[in-house]
Amino acid sequence: MAKTKLDEINRNIYDIKNKDEYDFKIKKGLTPEIIEEISKQKDDPQWMREFRLKALEVYNKLELPTWGPDLSELDMNEIATYVRPKTSLNSSWEDVPEDIKNTFDKLGIPEAEKESLAGVGAQYDSEVVYHSMKQELIKQGVIYTDMESALKKYPDLVKEHFMKCVPVYDHKFVALHGAVWSGGSFVYVPKGVKVDIPLQSYFRLNSPESGQFEHTLIIVDEGASLHFIEGCSAPKYNKVNLHAGCVELYVKDNAYLRYSTIENWSKNMLNLNTKKAIVGKNAKMDWVSGSFGSKISMLYPMSILNGEGAKTEYTGISFAGKGQNLDNGFKVVHNAKNTSSVVNAKSISKNGGKCTYRSLVRINENAASSKSSVSCESLMLDDISVSDTIPVNDIRTDEVEFSHEAKIGKISDKTIFYLMSRGLSEEDAKAMIVRGFAYPISKELPVEYAVEMNNLINLELEGAIG
Amino acid sequence: MEKLKLNETPVRTSRNYNINNITLENIKIPENIESFENVEIKGESSKIKIDSKVNNCDLVYGLLDTLTNQVKEHANQKLMVSIDSKTNQEVQIGFTFDNKNSQLIDHIQVESRENTKATVIIKYEAKEGVEAFHNGMIKIHAKKGSEINVILLNLMNLSSNHFMSIENELEEDANLKYTIIDFGGKNSISNYYANLKGNSCQNTLNTIYLGKENQVFDLNYIGELRGEKSNINIEVEGALRDTAKKHFKGTIDFKKGCKKASGNENENCMLLSDTAKSLALPMLLCSEEEVEGNHSSSAGKVGDKELFYIMSRGFEKKEAMKLMVRAKFNKIIENIKNEELKNKVIEEIDKRLD
Repeated sequence: MAKTKLDEINRNIYDIKNKDEYDFKIKKGLTPEIIEEISKQKDDPQWMREFRLKALEVYNKLELPTWGPDLSELDMNEIATYVRPKTSLNSSWEDVPEDIKNTFDKLGIPEAEKESLAGVGAQYDSEVVYHSMKQELIKQGVIYTDMESALKKYPDLVKEHFMKCVPVYDHKFVALHGAVWSGGSFVYVPKGVKVDIPLQSYFRLNSPESGQFEHTLIIVDEGASLHFIEGCSAPKYNKVNLHAGCVELYVKDNAYLRYSTIENWSKNMLNLNTKKAIVGKNAKMDWVSGSFGSKISMLYPMSILNGEGAKTEYTGISFAGKGQNLDNGFKVVHNAKNTSSVVNAKSISKNGGKCTYRSLVRINENAASSKSSVSCESLMLDDISVSDTIPVNDIRTDEVEFSHEAKIGKISDKTIFYLMSRGLSEEDAKAMIVRGFAYPISKELPVEYAVEMNNLINLELEGAIG
Repeated sequence: MEKLKLNETPVRTSRNYNINNITLENIKIPENIESFENVEIKGESSKIKIDSKVNNCDLVYGLLDTLTNQVKEHANQKLMVSIDSKTNQEVQIGFTFDNKNSQLIDHIQVESRENTKATVIIKYEAKEGVEAFHNGMIKIHAKKGSEINVILLNLMNLSSNHFMSIENELEEDANLKYTIIDFGGKNSISNYYANLKGNSCQNTLNTIYLGKENQVFDLNYIGELRGEKSNINIEVEGALRDTAKKHFKGTIDFKKGCKKASGNENENCMLLSDTAKSLALPMLLCSEEEVEGNHSSSAGKVGDKELFYIMSRGFEKKEAMKLMVRAKFNKIIENIKNEELKNKVIEEIDKRLD
């Protein structure tokens, strides 16, 4: 029987390269002088300048991870950590320079804003170039702005929360982020306010041999709710680009936050992102994550269930093709009574790609009557790809219900046979099975993102029955 | 006294999770090994011969080089079991630790001829009060079409250290059934590696562990599937009371070329106290498309409903708990066909749960 051939994702839209034009690009490397210069360029308050320098010290002390994908090709001396685009922050697309606007147009961001979003932020290289939000939300006291503006307008709120959820000594790339962060979004949803339509930030890295280090800080106050969407992409260059963003989410008592991501970085990107949520009493944190791009990805969103009755759910898919090593997963710490977590992770490996599901479930001594259920499934589409499952289950008390299950396999011949007996061709049968495999994830995404995901999976099934 | 870092997993994960290896503090690896005489061998025949001509000490994994080298250089018991029986004959090797025999460095090698069958029972038991040290290596080579059934019993006391490295090589159509009863040792650290290189070979590994007081179990099980249609099934059932801890690391590794291979791994831990701890890393590694791999892992306390039902039949809570644990373990205990041994295991369960 001939092999089913899955073509690589069509990346034409994402690979549009604009000329590497900028207002300011820091020289490559990582020294205290460079950090001071970034801080100066960004007009940081004194505490932030000191924070950055301290983070650099931590970065220099910490080792690279001794596990996971090989990161030896990353040479920080070859990466420019700050690139300011040739425009300032705008609140109208008309004011955004033509080439940058065109890029976002092609990615469908302004269109999505009109149709289905309550607010949009767009970052180009190291700075946010566009931010806007519907008037109704402003009236309700919702804050949605770029991090730099937040730092100046709401200094106390930012200082109280900035890198407290994700401390700089968590790992080397968080420390790096603390030293060179730039851009990102700040959201505050006041008590009891329900934001029904999603907010979305899109991160685009255009400049070659550079890094993007955006910081997203979201506070959903007591009883409030929010759906936040994050998208990211970059054109492909021959040399390595780095993304080491940081997402800190505070979901206060009885609040709800859904954080959806479609990550589609180019195949020269090292995506070493960190995301963590602290979830309060009876609050709920949902993660929806699609990981398609990057050369190497190490991404493990984490929920810390600190309040009694807190809940979290993770729904994620990774799709690794040729030359990709996607090491993704989820971490949860149950740190109070009656907390619960549900994990549903899937991965597809093809054309020599490698997918790893790496996770942690920890149920602490103080988390009696907690429940956790983890399910991961991996699909191998050929015999040159790799798929690993590396879950750690750390149960420290008895009054819990914990279960974990994982499956690895190829598309079942029996299922293909069944569908073919119903009149489908082999290609259609296989396409249907793969779409069905990804469906539990795609159905959790907003429509336009589900469409994007389907485009990304873009199953052009060829091959004959024989 | 030394600090030992041992039993490394084949693939590392974040060191913050404390599972890549285990660190034992205040362990003394004896240097001048005394002799060990308390060995009892039963069932030796013309078809199953035992002598001391072991010839292979090399390990792919093992617990730690220091321990492997100790077996290589200072083993005080060397036993080569050669199997030539066509019907299932049974041989028993029993080591009993007492005050005069408190250090055992044993090297057991089992070689089967093609298409042979046998059951090998290996028992380690330590009398109460003896501070025993055991470092053992068991190597099995299951040749084409052979069927070997191994029952390994660790009935050490709670003041001993028990280190066990096990390696198996399976040829075409070989069938290796391993049952491990892992009850004893202040520290019970074991490494099990199976190389399923032959086509259609099969390895079943069933383990029960039972921890009490401050016992520490570190089980590192690795199955590498290389042969086409090879199959491994790992089933681990355990119970922990008091402040006992268990680390279970199970790896099923589908190597390239093992087409139509399958592997299942199932690990369940019953937590009988709120201070017992269960840490598990059930890994599936896959570099081959046409395979089927599953793992599942669960942990939690004894179900209230089941406990209530048994107690409603007139049992006290403690007895009801014992019944529940035995019921969980029963499927694996049934693999022991030797009635005397089976009763011994049941008796040990009751004793350790009292």
